[in-house]
Formats: sequence, structure tokens, C-alpha cells
Amino acid sequence: MKRNVAVLVPGIIFAVLSSPLVAQWPRVPPPGVPKDAGGRVNLVAGAPRTPDGTPDLSGIWDVSPRREKPGEAPPGRPPLAIFADIGVNIVGGLPFQPWAAQLSKQRVANQRYDNPDALCFPQGPLQYHLDPQPRQIYQLPGRTLIIYESNYGRRTVYTDGRPLPTAGEPQPNWHGYSIGRWDGTTFVVESNNFRGVQGGHPADGWLDQMGSPFTDALHLTERFRRVNFGNMEIDITIDDPKAYTKPFTVRVEHVIVADGWEMVEFICHENQMFLKLTGRG
Amino acid sequence: MTIRAAVLAVSIGLLLAASPVVAHHAFSAEFDSEKPVKLSGVVTKLDWTNPHAWIYVDVKDEAGKVANWGFELASPNGLMRNGWTRFSLKPGDEVTVEGSRAKNGSTVANAQNVILAKTGQRLFAGAQ
Repeated sequence: MKRNVAVLVPGIIFAVLSSPLVAQWPRVPPPGVPKDAGGRVNLVAGAPRTPDGTPDLSGIWDVSPRREKPGEAPPGRPPLAIFADIGVNIVGGLPFQPWAAQLSKQRVANQRYDNPDALCFPQGPLQYHLDPQPRQIYQLPGRTLIIYESNYGRRTVYTDGRPLPTAGEPQPNWHGYSIGRWDGTTFVVESNNFRGVQGGHPADGWLDQMGSPFTDALHLTERFRRVNFGNMEIDITIDDPKAYTKPFTVRVEHVIVADGWEMVEFICHENQMFLKLTGRG
Repeated sequence: MTIRAAVLAVSIGLLLAASPVVAHHAFSAEFDSEKPVKLSGVVTKLDWTNPHAWIYVDVKDEAGKVANWGFELASPNGLMRNGWTRFSLKPGDEVTVEGSRAKNGSTVANAQNVILAKTGQRLFAGAQ
């Protein structure tokens, strides 16, 4: 590449990307962001801590773009899940019960018409973890809140020592019921009381975009580990004997949003065309 | 830093900045990737709405008959995070849109590329 062209190309790209940067969301970087000598966000700085000494998971998190192939995960590390298919990197696929495998196939063959993501309903727990829209964690005394930008997601993780309620009591709901505790530097969240496929709506019980089902027997365990300032690893175990022959675990990776972007409202029903374009509304 | 390294660094930086936004829903339920369209016309409206932004374009066929086409874009949040706003395109702008037509045969498509005629600028890139 000639020198003048080499200079021109990034200049044009910069101009193109810069031109619409008017009337933007005001970007105010959060306080306390560690910087390196060059003034850039130091993603590998130590994870922040709360006054009581536990790691502080608070922040806005994007799903990592990192990908791998089936079987590539090193021994002892769960395979990475992706938004489109949480079992894509599990050698042999998800351990479906026969009816659950059939339902997943039916949902895909039916154009995913009942995907809660497309219908603006609350997503399944893995959809929320993997959606390209961000999520914000608020770690507070006695509870941790997780707000998902996509599809009105809102979870309360109780950390006041209360036990997990009996399955079926209280009434199961879309986001389940969650309690959390610290195991060293790992935040362990256990959840039950999800609606599952018994919930009564065809959008109930979707773990992912493949329609991998879950039932009201789902016991979800999420192990959050903020490995440094910029990175979170979440190992998620799906234990649902009604839908799967054995529990299985996948990993989700998140990266911090520290450049001043905030959560932005996402009123999914505002101009929902999905039903109209699929001949149902 | 050599020129080539500088170009590479800038390009990588731009790729990282322009984080892709996956389509909100099951694309295949609404649109047919086997029915590509490439249409030019005049923008009549930009709806900066959730879960998808939409642009509407008057397209004239060979017989001179005008049809108003609707093109689905990414979500406003995703577009905004990649530097675009509701002012990035205005009624009266001439554009060429490449995309995939709706399965129901209506004058609707999912837009993959929106090119502004007067500058050649590719609008709403990075948030497909």
C-alpha cells in the first residue's frame, strides 16, 4: 500500500465513523476506573472489593466476543456457551431427555415463532447471560440486583442468608427465585421456581435460541468470578432432571463496560413487528 | 510505528469499537436470505423505535410506479453504541439498500447495507 493511501484510508474511516457522533448519549466514565500509564482502562487490574472484603461484581457487563470450538476447552473448564446455542461447544451436544430433544427440534422447525427473545417476553436465564445487550449488577448489602437491558430482565439475588424456597412455592415466575453466597472469591447463586415449559405460554422454558427446554424442576447454579477489573467468568450448571439426563455446565464470559456507556431503556413492545411479519398479528 | 502498523492498529481499534449487535429475533422467521433485494429511492421516514429501527423508502419501478418499502435495521441501542443517531438519515435523502426480503412477499426487507447516494457513506454499519 502506498504511503499516501495508507494515511488516507484510516482518515476516511475515522471521518465516516465520526460524522454521526452528534446528539449522542452523554458518556460519563464511571469513577474509580483503573488506568494504565497511557491513560487507557486497565482491564487486568485487580478486581475491586466491597467494604466487607468480598469482590465487588457491580458494573455494566457485555458478553465477550471470544469463541472456541467443541472440545477446545481445557480439562476442568466448562465449554463456552454462545447466544445462538448453549450446547454448541459441548462434545455430543446437550444431554436431552428424548421429549426435550424433540421439542427443541420442533421449536426450530417452527421458525422459532415462540422464542421469548423475539416476542419481547422475559428471556431464559442463559439468553439473558448471553444477549449482546448489556446487563448491570448492583451488589448491595443483603441483595444483589441484576438488571438486563434486553426484554425487561430483572433479578433479585438475596444474600441475607434466607434459604431457597420449596420448589413451587412461591408461584414460579419467569426470572426464578435466587439466593447468593460467597465461596471464597466466587459468588454462588442458586435459583429455582422458574416457570419452565409448564408455565402455560409457548415462550416459557427456552434456555437458548435453539429452544433447548427447561422445566419447573430447573435448579440453576451460577458461579460468578470477577477475575480482574475487566473480566467476569460465570460457570452455569443446569440441573433439570425432567429435561436432561444429567446436569451440565457451561461457561459465560463477560467484559466490563468502562467507557461511559450506560444501560439504555429498551421498550421492546414499542414497535414490535414480529407477529405481523409472521402472519400472526 | 510503521505506516502499515499504524493502519493495522487503527483498523483493529475501529473493529473493536464497532461491536456487532446480533439481530434481536429469529431472522429466518421473517426474512428470506434467498431473496436478496437491492433497491434505490428516497427516504420518507426513519422510525427510531424498539426493538428495531426502520427506514421507509419510496422506490420507483421501471414503469414509474412508486412503492414505499420498509427496511428493518438493528435496535436503536445497538446503532447508537456504534455511533449512529436518529439524525443520521433524513427524509429526502437518496439511498441504496441491500437486504433480504420478507417471507410474506410484502414491500418489507431486513437491511444489511444502507448506502447514502450523495457521499457513498455506509450508514448504520457495525450494528447489523
